[in-house]
Amino acid sequence: MLTASHLTRHFGSRLAVDDVSFELVPGEVFALLGPNGAGKTTTLRMLAGLIEPSSGSVRFNTDTMSPQTAPRLRGQIGFLTEAPGLWDRLDVRRNLLVYARLHGLPKPNQAVSEALDAFGILDRAGDIAGQLSKGLKQRVALARTLLHKPGVVLLDEPTAGLDPESAREVRELVLRLRETKHTVVLSTHNLDEVDRVASRVAVLRTRLIALDTPAALRARLFGTRLRITLGQAAAPFTDTVIATGFTDVRSDDSMLSIAVNQEPSSAPLIVRRLVEAGADVYSVVAEEPRLEDVYLRLLESENQSAPPTRSGPPTR
Amino acid sequence: MTRILALLDKDLADLRQNPSLFVPAALTGFFSILLPFIVAIVVPLFAGERLSDSSDFEIVVEASRNQPSMRGLDPEGVIQAWVFQHFLVLLVLTPIAGSMSVAAHSVIGEKQARTLEPLLATPITTFELLSAKVLGSLLPALMLTVSCFCVYVAGVAIFAQPGVYRALFTPASLGIVFLLGPLAALAALQLAVCVSSRVNDARSAQQIGALVILPIAGLLVVQLMGSFVLTGPVITFIAIALLGVNTGLMLLGIRLFDREAILTRWK
Repeated sequence: MLTASHLTRHFGSRLAVDDVSFELVPGEVFALLGPNGAGKTTTLRMLAGLIEPSSGSVRFNTDTMSPQTAPRLRGQIGFLTEAPGLWDRLDVRRNLLVYARLHGLPKPNQAVSEALDAFGILDRAGDIAGQLSKGLKQRVALARTLLHKPGVVLLDEPTAGLDPESAREVRELVLRLRETKHTVVLSTHNLDEVDRVASRVAVLRTRLIALDTPAALRARLFGTRLRITLGQAAAPFTDTVIATGFTDVRSDDSMLSIAVNQEPSSAPLIVRRLVEAGADVYSVVAEEPRLEDVYLRLLESENQSAPPTRSGPPTR
Repeated sequence: MTRILALLDKDLADLRQNPSLFVPAALTGFFSILLPFIVAIVVPLFAGERLSDSSDFEIVVEASRNQPSMRGLDPEGVIQAWVFQHFLVLLVLTPIAGSMSVAAHSVIGEKQARTLEPLLATPITTFELLSAKVLGSLLPALMLTVSCFCVYVAGVAIFAQPGVYRALFTPASLGIVFLLGPLAALAALQLAVCVSSRVNDARSAQQIGALVILPIAGLLVVQLMGSFVLTGPVITFIAIALLGVNTGLMLLGIRLFDREAILTRWK
């Protein structure tokens, strides 16, 4: 549905995005992670047809984004910008009505009412936008983003600065979009949010450092580990596990942490050996490192491998 | 066209919420109207001397009394009609002043309020965006000009000699107000919108756009000196030239409107 091929963007001599490629399918929530200045917003803007790549291309179904096709393709994309960008002196309905007409919707008033209703803010339609709370402004901006029912939704830090309740509502919206087969690209610093909603994660630092599902990234960086809680001290059973063929075994109080290659097939074998050795096994769970640890590990390894600065001559 | 109207409608609604932007225009209109009344009515009244008593206006009376719109007027009426006709050029400044402050804020205002990026993310083209911005400044300014003209005519009908107001309804007078005025305003505000899309400060746009006022002020001066008269053919020629200038400015505006620079260099 949405394909980015070798996207590269220079601003003067500064390289903002370097050779980024990915392909998104309907119903996928794709998270762009990266430190400030990593090129997330620039990537989103290229996907939205707001700025052109210096090289590479964005393809939307069968159309390639270009200055000629961009106005038409922008009509099929919803882009939530970092700032809500509402006209503060106008009321909520008029704010959305302008966009409904810009998108050429046949019944703009009805479309606005439906969008506001979907976000539970129909009763605020007459409120002046400048007087709304930050959370409400963001909801209005989200309603505006989805007003024309786009197939692709680009969200630039949608929960930044929101209170936990508003942030949860945004996450629920993203999950709803996934269920309704929208393609969602989400740029965020909130790793917990990514963990909850993203199907795939791209870690960006000018170029793509990693691109995979959160689970696969965890497995790649930290391996798969089992955490087994026993009814007694775990240390005496360390050798039992090592004898079963697992060399990376740690014990802490009544807990064993074991690095395994294939968790589902390894667990029964280990539990059987432990029980045979006289251990009381209370629980077996797959250990999941936090996505934050994965992210920091990725950036750390990137720091070690990358030259201190990256730049090159502008290609355009 | 729908998108131009959508954005135009929004700009006009926004303007209704912020009428202070039109204070400079209203003041310009007020003084444009006041000045000829001071010259033709107030000063003679306080001086106790009619304009026609002065030999300075003999040429004016001689040259103007045969004009169809001035037939039947006595020498004082002819001079008053001449003054009110020539000062009409000042009314041309009203839409320019009116449009200038609005146009200068048009793109910069959107940028500063961070409303431009969501707007650019819609299917709107640069031509549509700039057209809406230009019309959003021009239409209110033209309404102000029409209002000022009505007040001007009413004032002349009430305070000047009977029949003088007819001199304001000649093709040349109407051409100045309703053709040259809007076209000059269009040029000024297109210039302001062009600059507004390239700078960070509305004042820069306003100052550069206001350059258009200079030739108009010059026009008034040379008219009053009698070395140049805005006749029908002259007005038509200037109007055609202004149409060309406006077309060029629109093309220039589209070329200068750099979406990428606006999005990436503006904070």
